[in-house]
Amino acid sequence: MESEPILVVENIKKAFGSRVILKGVSMAIRRGELKVLIGPSGAGKSTFLQCINFLVTPDAGEIRLEGRPIHHSRKRELYAYRQQVGMIFQDFNLFDHLTALDNVMIGLVRVKGMDRKSARERAMAEIERVGLKEHAGHYPAQLSGGQKQRISIARALAMDPKVMLLDEPTSALDPELIGEVLAVIRDLVANGMTMVMATHQIGFSRAMANEIIFMEDGLIVEQGPPSVILSDARCERTKEFCSKITELYGEAS
Amino acid sequence: MPEGIAAILNALPYLLQGSFVTIVVVIGAMALGLVMGVPFAVGQVYGGPIVRRVIGVYVWFFRGVPLLVLLFLFYFGLCSLLDINLSAFTVAIIVLGSISSAYQSQIFRGAILSLPEGQLKAARALGMSDTRAIVFVIIPQALRLSIPAWSNEYSIVLKDSAVTYALGVAEIMARTHFVATRTYQHLPLYLAAGVIYLVLTYLGIKALRMLESGTRIPGYTR
Repeated sequence: MESEPILVVENIKKAFGSRVILKGVSMAIRRGELKVLIGPSGAGKSTFLQCINFLVTPDAGEIRLEGRPIHHSRKRELYAYRQQVGMIFQDFNLFDHLTALDNVMIGLVRVKGMDRKSARERAMAEIERVGLKEHAGHYPAQLSGGQKQRISIARALAMDPKVMLLDEPTSALDPELIGEVLAVIRDLVANGMTMVMATHQIGFSRAMANEIIFMEDGLIVEQGPPSVILSDARCERTKEFCSKITELYGEAS
Repeated sequence: MPEGIAAILNALPYLLQGSFVTIVVVIGAMALGLVMGVPFAVGQVYGGPIVRRVIGVYVWFFRGVPLLVLLFLFYFGLCSLLDINLSAFTVAIIVLGSISSAYQSQIFRGAILSLPEGQLKAARALGMSDTRAIVFVIIPQALRLSIPAWSNEYSIVLKDSAVTYALGVAEIMARTHFVATRTYQHLPLYLAAGVIYLVLTYLGIKALRMLESGTRIPGYTR
């Protein structure tokens, strides 16, 4: 009933020295899906996400975008692939010396080779989409955490990604700023963006995710629709973790 | 004492011409040090083991050998060995610049290393090549962070430039020495030279302070 997966990640392994972080993680995601990664810190969620766009080079495994395997050692192919996979970081990583507008423009100008005028128009459109038109001229240090994260989402969106990876996008935010970022992400879901997101926002995941993947110790322990994973998990460890974060982060989104 | 003041006043135009030479030598050396120091720093942080090793040896050499030895080595040694005819002025700039590049490379290296790792990651995640990421994201930030340490380096190069008098560069020190030995007014003349250096230090550091506040990123407190 559903189309071919847009992104397939197979058997990713990664060790830093003798510390094994990922012991063989696989995932396939279809166009328009939102998959949520949950699990305790140290489970390998962040490393897994960074392996998907080769910010961390996996030791083994294969990644295919729209059926085509990615050879990360070929630089051109790697750079072209990364343009199609947007990444949102926990601590935003906006370029500190550039205004919000220039942060969104830099990829268009320096990577896509767009002229400054069209790049500016496109960047402004994305900044408006995340509701920060008034702040386009501000520098990151003049923005709140929530605003920074929304600009970083605009920066990723401007590149027209086919898939977005979100690494705990709200974990570094004050509680009252989480909502504005989740609202933007909810908007992306509604517009059919394909996303893999590590998060502890359990209420949001219950409402929005197609699938929740529970990771621990570098492996996927259990995966399934939110209704199953969050209330009817087969594995004791999943149940325990889910009840703990539900208690902590609540049901509301 | 009046003859001392008279000696200073008489020598002043001549000494000020010398300070012009000093300024050109210092600016030339700082610029050369910058142009060489930035790629050295980038090579030391992001380069492969061989690149890092070569730069490491370069830095070790130019930080380790005394300025006077290097000046004589280049001017009297290398220039005649290679049969090239460079003026003392040019050699002064090359040697001071090469030494400064070794120190400046460490200033920039420190600045690059102090940037959050996420800056490079975010640039890569956009599909930027490492070269572009370094040019457009890393270096603009590292240079800003380097300005305070750079003003330190400026005052050191300025004072080091006095040593080039040994090659006969007609800078402040050489001219002061020349006038002093003819007039026997050593005390007032060397005092005057010291004051000129103090003024140049002050002006340079002031200018760099202005550059620092002019390039400060809004909202940043440091």
